[in-house]
This record gives sequence, C-alpha cells and structure tokens, in this order.
Amino acid sequence: MSATKARPSHAAQPLGSASILKKASISALVALVLFSLMIGVRTEAGPQGGLIYWTRFGELAAMVAAVFGGSIVIELLRQWWGPVDKDRVVPKPVQAAFAFVGRWLAPALLVFTFLVPVIFYDQRYILDLAILVLTYVMLGWGLNVVVGLAGLLDLGYVAFYAVGAYSYALLATNFGLSFWVCLPLAGILAAFWGILLGFPVLRLRGDYLAIVTLAFGEIIRLVIINWQSLTGGPNGVSGIPRPTLFGIPLTAGDDGLAARLGIEFSPTHRVVFLFYVILALALLTNWVTIRLRRLPIGRAWEALREDEVACRALGINTTTTKLTAFATGAMFGGFAGAFFATRQGFISPESFTFQESALVLAIVVLGGMGSQLGVALAALTMIGGFELFRGFDQYRMLVFGVAMVLLMIWRPRGLIGHRSPTVFLERNQAISSDLVKEGHG
Amino acid sequence: MSASPAAPPLLAIRRLRAAYGKIEALKGVDVEINAGEIVALIGANGAGKSTLMMTIFGKPRARAGRIEFDGEDITGVPTHEIARLRIAQSPEGRRIFPRMSVAENLQMGADATDCNEAERAAGLERVFTLFPRLKERIAQRGGTLSGGEQQMLAIGRALMSRPRLLMLDEPSLGLAPLIARQIFDAIRTLNRRDGLTVLIVEQNANHALKLAHRGYVMVNGLITLAGTGAELLQRPEIRAAYLEGGRHG
Repeated sequence: MSATKARPSHAAQPLGSASILKKASISALVALVLFSLMIGVRTEAGPQGGLIYWTRFGELAAMVAAVFGGSIVIELLRQWWGPVDKDRVVPKPVQAAFAFVGRWLAPALLVFTFLVPVIFYDQRYILDLAILVLTYVMLGWGLNVVVGLAGLLDLGYVAFYAVGAYSYALLATNFGLSFWVCLPLAGILAAFWGILLGFPVLRLRGDYLAIVTLAFGEIIRLVIINWQSLTGGPNGVSGIPRPTLFGIPLTAGDDGLAARLGIEFSPTHRVVFLFYVILALALLTNWVTIRLRRLPIGRAWEALREDEVACRALGINTTTTKLTAFATGAMFGGFAGAFFATRQGFISPESFTFQESALVLAIVVLGGMGSQLGVALAALTMIGGFELFRGFDQYRMLVFGVAMVLLMIWRPRGLIGHRSPTVFLERNQAISSDLVKEGHG
Repeated sequence: MSASPAAPPLLAIRRLRAAYGKIEALKGVDVEINAGEIVALIGANGAGKSTLMMTIFGKPRARAGRIEFDGEDITGVPTHEIARLRIAQSPEGRRIFPRMSVAENLQMGADATDCNEAERAAGLERVFTLFPRLKERIAQRGGTLSGGEQQMLAIGRALMSRPRLLMLDEPSLGLAPLIARQIFDAIRTLNRRDGLTVLIVEQNANHALKLAHRGYVMVNGLITLAGTGAELLQRPEIRAAYLEGGRHG
C-alpha cells in the first residue's frame, strides 16, 4: 500500500514506534496524576464523623495501564486509517489482512445476509431484528442518494417513508389492492412528493435546505394526524393486508402456501418471506444507485455535491439534477414505507417522527456519505447496537452519543469515507498501478 | 483555420447591461470575437470582467442588450443550454470537483454535450497531448492536484465539450510564473493548431495581451479601450495602470 513515489505535499511525518511509546507514556503520566486522587485515594465519612481514607493502588495501576495501552492502540488505528502514503508501524501482513477483509467484506456480508433465515430459523427475535436492520439499510441507501451523492441535506426524509406507508395502507384497505400493485404506486407517490418538496428548495443550500426539509417532514406528519377522515388521525390505519407470494397468502388456511406445498404451517414462513422481500427491495435500491452513479445523471449528482457553480459552468441543468435526486431518494423511501406498513399491519403517525429522519441521517453520515457498504454497516451497528444495549436502558443513548463523537473524530468522513471512481480509461490507456493507488485516501 | 475578415463575428455583444440587485456591473458593453482569434479582456478588480463572462453564460441574466453567438440570439437562453451550443467555460478559481478523480472531472465536461465514444476518446487524447501531466494523474482525486494541475484540469474539462468558444476566467490566478506560462503556451497551441476561439479574462495584462490577437480594457463596467494586443501593450495608460506595478496598486 505504501506509495513508491516521494510526494512533498504531506506535512505530517509518520510516527515511529518510539514516538508512539512516548505519546502513550505522557498519556499514562497524565492519567496517573489525574486518577491518583480520584481513584487511588478513597475517602469516606467515618463512624465518628471524621474522615477516613484508604488507598486503591491496584485499581489505579489498572487504569493507568489501560490508558497506556489504549493510546497505543488508538495511535496505531490512526495510522491505519490515515493517509495512504505513510510508512506504518503496523506490520505488512496485518495490513494485508485488513486489505483482504476490506475486499471480501461486502460479498461475505451479502452471503451471510442471504443465509440469516436459514441459520436463525428458530429465533424469531433475530429474524425480526434482521428485517428491521434491512429496512434501515434500505432507508439509508435511499437517503444516501439525496445526502450522500447529491449533497442535499434532507432532515425530513421520514416524510417519504410516511407517504409510502400511508399510500399502501390506504390503497389496500380502501380499494383492496394487493401489495405488489401498491408497491410501485407508493414509490411513484413518494417520488411525486419528493419533486413537490424539491421545487421550493431549489435555490436553497446547506443549513437553509435542512430547515425547510425538517419543516416538510413535520408538515406531512401533522397533516396525517389532522386529516382524520382520510388517515384516521392519531388512531392510524389498522388491518393492513399482509403481502402474498404471487397471490398465494402465507396463512394457515387451505389456500395458504403451507397447505399448497403440503408442509406444516408455521408463522415463521411469513417472517422469512418478509425478510427476503425487504432484502430484495434493499438490493434493488443498491443496484439502481450503483447503476445511476455510472450514468451522467449520477455523475451530475456527485458534481453538484462538489461544486454547484462549476456544474452550471459545465452546462448541467441543476434544477432537474436536484429534482431527480429528491425524487429518486423519495421513491426508495416510499418503497420502504410500503414494506413497513405491510410488515406492521398497523401504522400511525407516531412511527414517522423527526427521530426517524435523524436516525436515518445518522446512518448515512456515520457510514460515510456516498458509500453503500458504509451505510449498510452503519445501519447494522446503529439498529443492531440499539438492541444490543437494550440492557443498559437509559445509558444506551449516552453510549451511542459517545460512540458517534469518537467515530466522527477518527473518521470525519464516516466509516468508509473513500469513494470509488466511476470513470475509467480504456484498457489501452491504462497506467501503472502505483499511480492508481496514489490517489486513494 | 481562421475565418475570412468579412465573416460575421462568432460572438457579438451589443450594449450589454447586467446587474446584481441594484449594483450595475455592466453598463453597456460592446465586444466582438471573431472565429479563430484569442481575445483578452483586462481590467482591475471589480471592473466587470467576470460578470461579462458569466452574463454570456446566462447567469446573471442580461438586463438589456444582446448577445449573439454564430448569428443566433442567445441573450435569454438558460445556462445549461448555452453549454450545448458548445460555449465552454473555465470558471474563476478553477472549481474542479475535488473528490472526483481526474478522469471523472474530464468526463463531466464531456457529459454536457452528448458526445459519442469516439469523440470522447478524441477529446481525452487532445487533453492528454496538451497536458501530459493530467494523464499521469488520471486516477488521482482532483483535490490532491497542485494549483497548476488543477488549472490544467479545469481547461481540460472545458475542452472535453469540444467547444467552439472557450472562455477562461483568470487562468493564471495564484500560479507560479513558470506554471502560468505553461498554461498560456497551451492556450496558444490550442488556438494555432485547432483554430480554437478563446476569450481570456486576465489581471495579468502583460501575459494576456502578448498572447491575444486583440484585447479590450474594461473599467467600471464599460469598455474603455480596444485594439490589437500589441497596440494595447504600447499604450502608456495601459502600461501605467496594469503593467508597471499597477497590478497590485
């Protein structure tokens, strides 16, 4: 990975093992001074009211050792994640292992995801959690088009989720349309609302755009709450039909899938089916996004994120570029919403609060704006992590706050901040590989 | 290569006015650019040079007057359609896409005009012959290039749309003299070899006027002087204002 060409532009010198040790020692010294009174000496009011104290040198030593070891680990991690053309203390084989993991992580995750219902067939809780995670992966990938690629900060993404959910719920309960008919309709309706949001915000950027999209999300939610005759208001919509497998319901009845296949009915069948539906939807989102990135429109989105003035100078129609980004992102949000409605069987405005928007945005930012794998990993950590820390109850927000702050310090561009280019030269114009590597950061 | 003297100008600007809100930046500007020539527009900061270039591109919109390109009125044409007429622009401050690779930056230029694969390859070849450095850096992110390389990339990106008129806003801004000369040499090559028509906006009057066939001097939103590059270089007021230390004064 180390660059073969000397480049003068980097001011930061690589840290050798000596200086890392020095840094760690200083940290340990500071910790010793700080903790010697805080931990090393324990005071308490004695039985006669006088102050008694005792020492806890063991704990103090453990703490200082932890700081010493921790700062070495952090420094090594920093080097690993730092600029490419540095000499690293981490030995080559470890680096190679990391690179290997990096290359095979996405395919391995995909295979594992396909096998989740097989491995965890008996564990309903894990299946439900996996469906939840996949829903957020899909939402993250959808929002990634708007925020990650086009660079339009959207704080009201949940509005499109809500539009999709209510589209399906109302169409299905009022007109008896099936999930597979409603799914594209929900996407189209959400895309329509995306364009509707897009028009007034065309001239806005950054903070101003964020405020308007935030308001948009709230407006949709308030309309849903107050338009009682259509949406049922705060009571929501219940009795939303479950999806069928090409018209075959997954029920215990005689015409159900289990009866037709001649196997014993189990409620898990539907959960597994739902799992593969959301997996397919999420993969569709991913595939479309990857394809679009290679087309002029996708490149225009990314260019728009980089520099709007330059885009205009190149003759890019910024209006249609922004609107298509909003519409595409909203459409995927709508798909996810329709799935959410059919999975829950019941929806109410409570499911579409600002907190959802914030969560999806956090997934995109943590994952690394524009990185598909990063978003998937972030969704897994955020949603899975939430469940993992359920035992900690009121501390879990604290844990996540700290984790996010730390991540943003070490990886300001998210878990996977590197974006892979989409334009390559023809083979006859290929150039040596060390030059290709040089640009990665 | 260059058009006959009788031919109408490629770009004709008549009594053009433009403003930012109440501040009038162009107060009736007349400029003509003939096919195959390099025209320099010089003037101090805030004279309206960049505004003129931006107004040709439709942003800000012209308040009054007329812009004709190849005999066609383009005064009210939206910005993104002007690029389709194959007027290309390398904006002030280079404005390359920093996180996109050099190849992607160049492709962005080609995307504006729907060119086919052969035209794209030919365009790349032309850019790489002109700036071999870009070929070396092809997979690097734009933001990691040096200032001069970024300027090369900005010009290369504009060239990818196979322009009939290339407009360059301050290509020598912030560049070392040696690099600036390379850029000017490249512009001269483009003009001599391909017959490309170039409008160059510059504060570096000496370089620009030596390069250009003709030049215009702009002061406070008006053209105050016009003539061939050599003529303008001889004018005492030009020498006083823009050449002999006037650049920083």
